[in-house]
Amino acid sequence: MERTSVNQLQSDAAGDLPVLQMKSVTKMIKGKAIVNQLSFEIRKGEIVGLLGPNGAGKTTAIRLMTGLIRMTEGDVLVHGHSIRHDFRQAIAHIGAIIENPEFYSHMSGLDNLKQYVRMSDGIAESRIAEVVELVGLQNAMDKKVKAYSLGMRQRLGIAQALLHSPKLLILDEPTNGLDPAGIREMREYMRKIAEVEGISILISSHMLGEIEQICHQAVVIQNGTLVKVTRLGAQDSTENEVSLSVRVDNLAAAAAVIQAEEGVRLTGTDEQHSELIISLHDRKVPELVASFSAAKVGLYRITEHKQSLEDDFLKWTGGNRIA
Amino acid sequence: MRKFHLLVINEWVKMVKKRSFVVPYLILLLFPQLLGYIIHSVSPGSFASAAGFTREMLLPTGMGQVMTILSIIGTAGIVAKEHSRGTIKFLLIRARSRTAILASKYVTVLLYVLSLTAVAAAGILLSGMIWFQTGGGDTGIADILLALLYGCIYSFVYVTLAFMLGVLTHSTGVAIGLSMFLLTIDKMVISRSFYKYFLFPNLDLSVYGSGQQPPMPGMTLGFSIAVLAVYMTVFLLAGFLVFRRRDVA
Repeated sequence: MERTSVNQLQSDAAGDLPVLQMKSVTKMIKGKAIVNQLSFEIRKGEIVGLLGPNGAGKTTAIRLMTGLIRMTEGDVLVHGHSIRHDFRQAIAHIGAIIENPEFYSHMSGLDNLKQYVRMSDGIAESRIAEVVELVGLQNAMDKKVKAYSLGMRQRLGIAQALLHSPKLLILDEPTNGLDPAGIREMREYMRKIAEVEGISILISSHMLGEIEQICHQAVVIQNGTLVKVTRLGAQDSTENEVSLSVRVDNLAAAAAVIQAEEGVRLTGTDEQHSELIISLHDRKVPELVASFSAAKVGLYRITEHKQSLEDDFLKWTGGNRIA
Repeated sequence: MRKFHLLVINEWVKMVKKRSFVVPYLILLLFPQLLGYIIHSVSPGSFASAAGFTREMLLPTGMGQVMTILSIIGTAGIVAKEHSRGTIKFLLIRARSRTAILASKYVTVLLYVLSLTAVAAAGILLSGMIWFQTGGGDTGIADILLALLYGCIYSFVYVTLAFMLGVLTHSTGVAIGLSMFLLTIDKMVISRSFYKYFLFPNLDLSVYGSGQQPPMPGMTLGFSIAVLAVYMTVFLLAGFLVFRRRDVA
């Protein structure tokens, strides 16, 4: 959480606005707060996951961001433009799929995209071909959408969202109903979009594994309230301490080795699996392995010990069931 | 507003791409031929000329009613179906105001009615020329155009009503059903003086043309136009206000 990349610091200094700012957004329906004082930010090029148990208000939050429903209090700023007071400026920076991508099924994919081209300003003719190629639907453009599979519709949804080159892509449960190949494909698109086009992405999902794999940051909400904002991914941790789980044949002997080794801390023991959880500096790992063999401690496996997002998630949301 | 016409094109494309799009046009072309044949064989002398036939048929009491029914069926779903298909979400997250989007839909509805009217007029005129004399009679082009106008106004009021119902209820069924129901009972007259402020007795403006008695005492052409204008304004205001403000779930 303390890691803020250098790039971000620089862009802050340059006065770059966050792509999306939720400012104590509240939505009351019949006296009940569906979304309550929700605030968070998304920066340029960031992939952010919006997590929460069923009924937490994820879809409501997304509908609020896109102006489909009116907020009771607060405001959403998209690239500095208020969605309440400056809707057309604000929404022009957003591309979104909300719940399932629904198209005019009696029309071809191309005709559907043309609809949205006519509804946005300044889209070049060549842009359709560009986004269609990005999502790989070149051969299906003349087919009617009713003949599309769910995966193809999902891809057409992404094409539709990218047409007007938005700064922020909002995807509500993008992998819902896709098969494993489709999910993987979707993940690749999202990476590509964030890296190649420099677009920030907000993904709402209950697939924790998904979020963990591609998001830089997770925003966890429950009962419409923000529970936690956390950074994900240890990709820049090579210089830091790592936590390892080591399976050995003799726990006591191994513990003794670890104690003798400088800079290695024992953080946990799992007797059932005969495992030790240790924390040490990355470059100490080979030394430790050497010490183990010198002490004739049998080493079965060394794995990186990660507390999974699922564990955290259940902790934060009090074990509420996720479906 | 410069790009408003693009929104209308969008709506028009969505209608044209439907496979059933040509059906109402075919009905309006062919039905008058059949009607002309029947009238001609039963009583060949009922219309003095093709023009007289055309004028009579275009009125809300003739093919005008069929035209209205087809207009309602064709356009009642223009808002409701976006909701039921879920396409409303992609529609409303564009850099266009909800007012412009709804207005483009309403303009499309009116254009649709006009196109149906034009085709109906052509079909009726053709039928008249086939089954009755082309010359003679005392009906002129002005009479035909007036009948066309009255037929259009009748349809406009009903499609506006159906349009509002579609916005308010999100249901194509309710929009079609309720407006059709009203269409079938609108010839009913309640002999109370307050009834002249209702929509129904004012719908057919052709009653003022030929020195006939107005449907109710105290009604004039100007009065009926004013009543229709008030009702249309109310329908449109209700539709637009609700569409602008409503949460899309």
